[in-house]
Amino acid sequence: MIEASLYTIKAICILDNDGERLISKFYDDTFPTVKEQKEFEKNLFNKTHKANAEIIMLDGLTCVYRSNVDLFFYVIGSSQENELILVSVLNCLYEVTSQILRKNVEKRALFDHLDSVYLAIDEIVDGGIILEADPSSILQRVALRGDDMSEPNFKDTVIWHS
Amino acid sequence: MMLRRDKKDEEEGASSNPFQGLEKSTVIQEARSFNETPIKPRKCCHTLTKIMYVLNQGEQFGRTEATGTFFAMTKLFQSSDVTLRRMVYLLIKEMADIADDVIIVTSSLTRDMTGKEDLYRAAAIRALCKITDSTMLQAIERFMKQAIVDKVPSVSSAALASSLHIMKQNPEVVRRWVNEVQEAASSDNIMVQYHALGLLHYVRKNDPMAVSKMVSKYTKGGLKSPYATCLLIRISAKLLEKEEYRDASPLVDFIESCLRHKSEMVIYEAAHAIVNMKDTSARELAPAVSVLQLFLSSPKPTLRFAATKTLNKVAMTHPAAVTACNLDLENLITDVNRSIATLAITTLLKTGSESSIDR
Repeated sequence: MIEASLYTIKAICILDNDGERLISKFYDDTFPTVKEQKEFEKNLFNKTHKANAEIIMLDGLTCVYRSNVDLFFYVIGSSQENELILVSVLNCLYEVTSQILRKNVEKRALFDHLDSVYLAIDEIVDGGIILEADPSSILQRVALRGDDMSEPNFKDTVIWHS
Repeated sequence: MMLRRDKKDEEEGASSNPFQGLEKSTVIQEARSFNETPIKPRKCCHTLTKIMYVLNQGEQFGRTEATGTFFAMTKLFQSSDVTLRRMVYLLIKEMADIADDVIIVTSSLTRDMTGKEDLYRAAAIRALCKITDSTMLQAIERFMKQAIVDKVPSVSSAALASSLHIMKQNPEVVRRWVNEVQEAASSDNIMVQYHALGLLHYVRKNDPMAVSKMVSKYTKGGLKSPYATCLLIRISAKLLEKEEYRDASPLVDFIESCLRHKSEMVIYEAAHAIVNMKDTSARELAPAVSVLQLFLSSPKPTLRFAATKTLNKVAMTHPAAVTACNLDLENLITDVNRSIATLAITTLLKTGSESSIDR
């Protein structure tokens, strides 16, 4: 029987439609090296990108997932974990990202708001502990800039680094 | 000029990933601009995002590189831009283990942690606890105790979660905060309650009497949070493993009562616990199997998966208890989710009879 612990989430990943890593956070040492992590991500993507089935067992882990256009969202936990808890985190991640991207859940928009999505994931899970799973609380805590919600800021940010 | 060139690049759509091919050395170079005054929040924020991206892609920073970038970053505390400050906190956590002398930001973080801005406080606590070592822990102890019982849920949760991380290295310090943690456990906020209960349990883990007292207190009611309730079910099930006369145990009553909870998460956790108990009797299994049977026809794939997986387990020890679900399981043989279909088939192999062959 699974240990009663707050450490519930092993990883959160957002991959693109080639299975490339956009954002990944691994919270324990199930996959100690970047190489092993990326191998797992590739494997996961190959097994899930065609079948929109929401849940899969892979390498003895439970992975729940959702996708839209060219983005794939994954939440990963132990095979003993309550699958519905994992799904509550996945739904929160998806909902929050969708709000940040103003319902434009696609790669291009993700890059325009990458900072906010990093901050959001940091508010959802803290070192493997589910910190908050309510999308509206997360959005409050991420404290989006007023204009983040109205127009993309990518064009003016790109000027500075050139 | 530059502006025009960038726009053109973008229109041509040279790459759909503007961060593609970003070099570590470029972003390290760019971080030097953090020293410029006045600080341009948007520009700096974008640079921090790039550093984050490069780190997240798995690039290794050398000690010197990381430390240089970290120190440049500390200059950004002069700006009061909210997003920029939050990105700084995030990067502090990311770089805490790869840069030297990260304790340099202690006073800045302590100031933000005790300041007026709630959005800073919670995030500052988490960053501070990440860089704090055992010698400095005493200095922030007072603030941590205050934060644990703070009225703002994000602050309280941040302090509780950070305390649990700290427990790994410094259990004796966190043990002194148990009164505050207990107070937080009666919070109205569902996450604060969950984090407080999790920390309380961890603190008392090696003292079965204390765990048992804690469980009997909360099983009598008072938990609003479905997450906390799931945790309490798990703790109860662990305690039951050691009990000799389970029949009369109030813990069994508690777990069974959770089968009628309004949250599916809790119902499933309870059913799962009952199924996995040692030497479960057919009488104990029956109510758990009935709720799992209901889940089999849920439109949510995860719920169908969870139920099939758990019934599969029951079928190994008590095939007779699952036969009532055979019709529902047969419907799942063609489920779009192949894992569900496979689990349904293997379960049926254990419970099926001649009558099902015709169908």
